[in-house]
Amino acid sequence: MESQANPQETKQVVPPPAKNEDVEVTVEYLPAAKPFHRVYGGTSTVGTVRTDAMSFFGVSDHRDRDTHQFFLEFNGQRLTNMAQVLDQLLGPHRKGAHFNLVEQITPGAAIA
Amino acid sequence: MSQPYPPIQSWVVPHAAMSATLTAVVQEGQGVRESGALWLGRRADISRVSAIVFPRGKGVEATAGRWKVSSEVFGAVTRWAKPRELSLLGVVHTHLHGIPPRLSRADREYSVQVPGILAIVIGEGDEDRDHLKWGWYVYEHRDYRRLLDEELAQKFEINSKKEEDLCLRVANSDGVFELGRL
Repeated sequence: MESQANPQETKQVVPPPAKNEDVEVTVEYLPAAKPFHRVYGGTSTVGTVRTDAMSFFGVSDHRDRDTHQFFLEFNGQRLTNMAQVLDQLLGPHRKGAHFNLVEQITPGAAIA
Repeated sequence: MSQPYPPIQSWVVPHAAMSATLTAVVQEGQGVRESGALWLGRRADISRVSAIVFPRGKGVEATAGRWKVSSEVFGAVTRWAKPRELSLLGVVHTHLHGIPPRLSRADREYSVQVPGILAIVIGEGDEDRDHLKWGWYVYEHRDYRRLLDEELAQKFEINSKKEEDLCLRVANSDGVFELGRL
């Protein structure tokens, strides 16, 4: 019947996952007036974005009496896998990604 | 690449912001625990406080000796503030009776540490209505520095001349809400 879709044809119109396409990344940090912007390849890792954004915002992981660590949030979720590449995180059809940089302070985690 | 922290020469704080902050911290602290507020606005040469977020409940640790806002709450505030082009300008918190309105070592270490950010301590169990007696600090050269009275007079304007829009919200780790929701 003409109105029925051919499963084979339907499969063919689904585009393949994006591979190493450029991704426009924006990272916001609450105290900063300006966001961090950079274009990354899709195989760049979350860890690379985090490091670059921290450098831009002039912050670093450190210890005093507590442990201070910065992490990226994406869609309200904390990203913990620093080895994950942007293509994996974003999936296909994504040209941009918006992250927030947030500081996590763990009390008493350092040696006094 | 643009600077993330343009220098701030002075701050304008609407009178309504001062009143709202005091009212909220007194109500929340009840004289038995610390409380606080996040002052937000557009960071610029003259930075004006245009929104105040009061962290409460889930994700906030408020005791007689400390007021701590979790990263989840800061994340929620970031998601709310940034689309509105708001930045964190200052963190206000209270000290109870008998504890001077000075930043303790723990306060300094726990507070946000970026150039130009304010840390303000309301003393006398959050009932001190004279802002000149509060502790006013600015983060410079990798530490908080107490502002002198003359600096306070020069750099801070308490604007009571006209009604200005002031956005008041409460926040917890789930999000930012209209005042009265938490």
